[in-house]
This record gives sequence, structure tokens and C-alpha cells, in this order.
Amino acid sequence: MYKFLKKGRVAVSILITVAVTLAFLFFSNRETDIFNGFLKIQFVPALLGVFTGSAIILVLLTALTLLFGRVYCSTICPLGTLQDATSRTASLFKSKKSRRFKYSAPKNLMRYLILGAAGIPLIFGSSAVIAFLDPYSNYGKISSEITGRLEQYVHNLLSTVFPDTIFFRSYSVFIAGSFIFALAFLILVLAMSALRGRLYCNTICPVGTLLGLVSKFAAFKPEINRESCNKCTLCVTNCKAECIDLTNSTIDESRCVGCLNCMTVCKKGAVTYKYSWKKSGEKNEVTANAASEPVPASSGRRDALITMGLVGTFLAVKAVGKVAPLAAKPKKDGIAPPGALSIDNLKSNCTACQACVTACPNGIIKPATGEYGTDGLLMPVLSFDKHFCGYDCNVCTQVCPNGALVPLEIEEKRLTQIGKVRFNLKKCIVFTDKTDCGACDEHCPTKAITMIPWGDEGLFIPKVNRNICIGCGGCEYVCPAKEKAMIVEPNEVHAIAQKPKEEKQEKVKVDEFGF
Amino acid sequence: MERRNFLKAALLGSIAGAVQLKPENVFARESKEAPGQNDLVAVMGGEPEVMYKRGIAAMGGMKAFVKKGQKVVVKPNIGWDKKPEFAANTNPQLVAAIVKDCLAAGASEVVVFDHTCDEWQACYKNSGIEAAAKAAGAKIAFAHDEKYYKEVDLPMGLRLKKAKIHESIIEADVWINVPVLKNHGGAKMTMSMKNYMGIVWDRGYWHANDLQQCIADCATYSKKPVLNIVDAYRIMTQNGPKGKTTNDVVLAKAMFISSDIVAADTAALKFFNQFREMKMEDVSHIGKAAKFNIGTTDLDSIKVERIKI
Repeated sequence: MYKFLKKGRVAVSILITVAVTLAFLFFSNRETDIFNGFLKIQFVPALLGVFTGSAIILVLLTALTLLFGRVYCSTICPLGTLQDATSRTASLFKSKKSRRFKYSAPKNLMRYLILGAAGIPLIFGSSAVIAFLDPYSNYGKISSEITGRLEQYVHNLLSTVFPDTIFFRSYSVFIAGSFIFALAFLILVLAMSALRGRLYCNTICPVGTLLGLVSKFAAFKPEINRESCNKCTLCVTNCKAECIDLTNSTIDESRCVGCLNCMTVCKKGAVTYKYSWKKSGEKNEVTANAASEPVPASSGRRDALITMGLVGTFLAVKAVGKVAPLAAKPKKDGIAPPGALSIDNLKSNCTACQACVTACPNGIIKPATGEYGTDGLLMPVLSFDKHFCGYDCNVCTQVCPNGALVPLEIEEKRLTQIGKVRFNLKKCIVFTDKTDCGACDEHCPTKAITMIPWGDEGLFIPKVNRNICIGCGGCEYVCPAKEKAMIVEPNEVHAIAQKPKEEKQEKVKVDEFGF
Repeated sequence: MERRNFLKAALLGSIAGAVQLKPENVFARESKEAPGQNDLVAVMGGEPEVMYKRGIAAMGGMKAFVKKGQKVVVKPNIGWDKKPEFAANTNPQLVAAIVKDCLAAGASEVVVFDHTCDEWQACYKNSGIEAAAKAAGAKIAFAHDEKYYKEVDLPMGLRLKKAKIHESIIEADVWINVPVLKNHGGAKMTMSMKNYMGIVWDRGYWHANDLQQCIADCATYSKKPVLNIVDAYRIMTQNGPKGKTTNDVVLAKAMFISSDIVAADTAALKFFNQFREMKMEDVSHIGKAAKFNIGTTDLDSIKVERIKI
């Protein structure tokens, strides 16, 4: 039965990883959003999006962990699957001896410190630390920066082979910091998994640590039957979590990722899932038998309770909506994508997975470097250098799994004011060169910019109505002046712009050509 | 390889351009002497395909402009991510009718493209032009990256002396310019000459260097369209060139066809002026182009046929 289960687990994990990866690749995320659904079933997005539609997913993920332990880590987490694949590939190049895993003691201090470092800022309304530690979001960064760029090169290579059917894709904006982080993280994870299986998941990953704590209460736990076990160590050498301690015949459920390897390799059938929610009397019997247990079960459970208290606090604070910002004067120079609601909301909920960055059809969303300050690194910020925000586009708001960008209908999006334009007359071509231009007016979707007569030479100059400007950046992008005359200033808190006025025209009856 | 191909194409292009320039000039001079041949046809009152059919017949039929085996480009305005009823782009039915006609006249291939302003895939799709042109048998060319453009000289240009022009125009034997008639915040009006902004890569340069002059300068490019077909089925009379709502649009049901780009734009402007006041001198690129002698603003000096359906 376990063999069958394992095959199922491998199949599901590959399916999810492929779907998540595709969600970050241009050719699949352009025309369809089915792959983006797989982003929403990830743990941290579900936790952060708990009040924006992901509550059910969070409950399901918690229930799954309460039933079977950390199976999330080996089925749903794409980074976990990447590590398994690496570990497996690496084993092909290893000697028989070095291929074997050994039991290693838990590095609890490190795990809980990292969990605290990632989790506590969340209570204070900052997702800045978790953004660099969440396995899904980092997998997203790798998909966007490494896999996505590779895909782009392949695509453009194909476009030279089939110039009529495959179009050349202009290269996406390169942010060195974002690329270097993704690359460094990828190398770290690949190295750790090639050498030591799920070492990353059991020492660094805060999601792994948190779910490990929940696993202590799981209904079904892997157990070694001491009577049938002949201590052949086959399970230990195949345990990539390195959590099977044969000296004491125990399995550390907080580190077990439920990969089912031990159960499938055991020739005696001694490793199995056992129902653990027995009545206390029976339980005592079991623990009495294991007299030499090194760590009293109660200490682990205490840690777990403290942590869950903190998660509860996080949820409570989030529910009440009172958030104490960490920095006294947060930096807010960037324009947040539509749906972000405010830069504070973005900084509280975004884990910089880059789903919006890769999904933007106009390629104007880039990972922030300094625009939002240090607590907003790599979070999405708009840049109007290469294009502007499409009036009839709401793609970024649809793909965000965290609720850092809330879904907007097209109608809402058209009125969502992410910034307001400021017009600098002295830099305008019409003013400096005394020639027609009007590029800004041409691109303005709401007619916040109109051209009005100026001077006696039949020239027209832009006039701005900031109340109906939505900050799409069409004017800023297209302004041909050396120093832009149109600059969009960010709205710290997004607003609702006034509806553009309807201008009915009088009907003119024309029967002649006019010449 | 690519360099050689490019040089070849450039050479062929310039020969084709030179060859083409001649008959057109001759044609312009001789037209008055050859009765029955119209210089400009204005049509009014029908559906796009019907007006086109009548109009092109009065111009002598597509075979007079497209020869058997020629590679043809049909260049509509697909600048904006707007549906046909907003009149921000050329009417897709008209584009399809022209494509079919070119193929019927023996064109070896017909290519349709535009350098869009909004995101290109959305424009191609929502304008309805990609689907209509493909169904009619045209090839859709990509035009969203600088890679698809090649530099050409504009020796007559005053402000615009060089421009990167889309490769399909450079490689084509003939091209047909199919703008839509609109009010325009910057250029005042957008018609045939303004439609050249969709065959070049760097439009920002035009805006920064006397837009009206650059529009006229680019119209001097040696490879001129064999036909300019101004779509005035729906016209945008305000808030152009992008428009806000269908309130900006008037159903005018007209079309202007001419090989003389200046005459086509003059006629279209005079027609537009009946809906909303627009002075010739404000749309100064028309006058500037006339100064280059690439066409005439004097509609009385050419043979015009007016067709009402």
C-alpha cells in the first residue's frame, strides 16, 4: 500500500511543481490563469491571504498536517520537490556508501530562531523577512529570474528559426539584486539537497519548522515496530530528512516530510503510520515502554503551543487590522501595482514571489530595490521606462496568491488611482521647442490630460486634471522630453479616481463630402 | 547570413523604390490627360466592404496597383487596445476586403502589421484586425521590437533624416496605407501621413523634433504606398486618437481613396471639418508635405469622383 501511496505522492508533487513553474513562464501565464491556481494552495500565501479568500485553503493545509504530518513539504511545496529531484539526481553520481543518509540530531535552536525571525515581524505587519525565507516565494524568484529568463532565451532562439510564427520577446528588465538573490538561493538549496537531502527544510525553512510543530499533534505518525524491526538500517539510509533514530527506534515527526521512503523500503514492514490520538491511558503504556526516550515529549509540545499562540496572535492582529509598522518613517517612493491598496498593505502581505512581475503583459512590474526601503526589497514596483499600465488589464491583481494585490474587476481597475501625474510645463516640448507634440494626451486613457490652445501660433499644450488621473504612466512613458515633463507620483494609499466625464456630442447631419 | 540578406533586401528595396517613384510621378502628370482614370475617389453611405468595392472599381481596380506575384503590405492603424466600435483602429472588415482583393489581383502574399501604442497582442486581438486579416488570407507580422525595423535614409527630410522602418515594408513590392480618420490631440488629425508613425520604430523622436515636420518628412520616404485608403466609416471626432467611449465616435460611412497621399488627407480633413471644425493650417503636416511636391492640396486640380451609395 505504501508503494502505491508513494507513487501517488511523487505524481502529485511533480504535477504541482510543473504547474507552479508554468505559472511563472510567459507562454503559459499570458493566455491562461489555470496555473496560477496552484500558487494559492501554497502555505504562506494561504496564511497571508487568509482574509482575502484563502481561509479554506489554510484550514485544509492545517487539517492535512494534523492528520498526516508534514506531507505538505513533499507534495505541495515546489521547493521540496526541487530538492528531492536534486537529491535523487546527485545520488546517481555518488558512491554507494556516500549515497546513504545517516541520522542527524535536530538543530532546534537554529530552526526556532529562524522561525521567530520570519514570523514575529509578520505580527508587526511586515512580510519583509518571510519574503526571503518562504519556500514557495523563493521558488517563485528562481522561476522568474532563472527558469523564466532561460525560457525567454529559448523562445527568442525559436523566433529566429520560425520568424513568422514565433515572435521575438523583448528582454525583461534586469534587476541585478533580484537575479543574484535567486541564483544564490538556488545554489544554496541545490548544494544542501545534493549533499544532505532535506537539510534545508529541516534547518532553515520556517514553513517546515512551523508545520513540524503542528506535526507533533498529527493523528497519524510514522512509527517503528520494535518487535518486527531487525535494525537493518535500510530506512535510515533512505531517509532524506535524516530523522530516523534507530538507537532509540524513534522517528522525529517534526522533521519527517512524509515521503514514505522508509515504509516502502522496509522489508519487514516495521515502519508504518500509526494512529496516535489514543486515549491517555493507552498512550502512557506506549511511552512507558520507551523508557529511554531522550527528549520528553512535553517539551516539544510546549514549543509547539507557544508557536501556535504566535500564529494565533498573527491571525488576530490581522483580523483586527491594527498593524504597528516596524519602521518609524517607512520609505514609499515606488508606485505599487493596482490592487495593492496601499504600500503598507503590500509590505504586510507580499512575499516577493514575482508572480505579478512575470505575469504583467507590459513588463512594467519589477522587483523593488530601494523604492520601498529595506522592508520592501524585491516587492513589486512599477516602472514606466519601457511601457505603461494597460487600461483594460488587471492581470497582476488576478495572479497574486497572497492577497497583497487584491483581485480587481476591470471596471474597478479603471478607476483605481495608483498615483497622480505631475506636469512640469518648463520641460514640455511644446513649451521648449514651440512645436506640436501631444504624445501624453494621445496615451491618456481617461483624458486626465487634454490639449488646450496655447500661444498665438496654433499650438496646444497639455492640461492635467489630477482627479481623473489613475497613474497608469502612459504619459510618463511616452513623454519625449529629455527630462520627462510628465511624472507619476505614487499614492501611498491607493484611491478611487473620479469617473471621467461623459461627453455627448451633438448630432451633425452630413450628406456632402465637404469639398 | 543575416547581413547579406539585409543588404540584398536593402538593395532590392531601393531599386523597387526608385522604379516605383518614377511611374507615380509620370502618372501624376499624365493623369489629367488620361480621362477615366481618377486621382481621388470619395465614397459615402455604405458598409465598409461595399464602399471599398465601389471605390476601388472607380480607381481602376486593384490590378492597376498590385501585379501578379507581388508581395504586398496592407498597413492599417492598430494602435490601440480598443474594439472596432470605438473607431480607434481601422475597420477590420475593410482590412479584410483589401487583403482579399490584393490576393485576387495575384499578390503572392499580403502582410498586415502595425507598431502599436498599447500592448501589441491586445491591440492585434481586440481591434479584430488580426482575426479578420488572417481569415482573409493575410500574414500577420510582428512589430513590437526594434529588431523588426531597419534604418533607411530620408534625404528630403528636414528634421527626420533617417528612420527605422519595419522590415516588411522594406521587403514588400508595394504597400497600401489604410488609416482611420480621427481627431488627434498632438497632430490635430490622424490620417494617411500620420499612419506612417506605425511603420517606424522611434516615434518619440518625432514628438521631440517638431511632430508636424517629421510627419511630412517621413512621407517623403522613397517607397510610397500605391494607395491610401482612408477609413471614415466610423470617425472619432473628439478625445482622439485613443478615445474614451463610443460617445467620441460618429458613424460617418465614408471612404477616401487616392495614390496621392496629400490629396487623400486633404479630402479626409475637409470631410471631417463638417463634423468638427478643423483648419488646414492647424494640421500643418499636410501643407508641409505639399511643399515637398509629393502631392497636392488643390482638389480642383485633380480628377475626383464622388460616389454616393
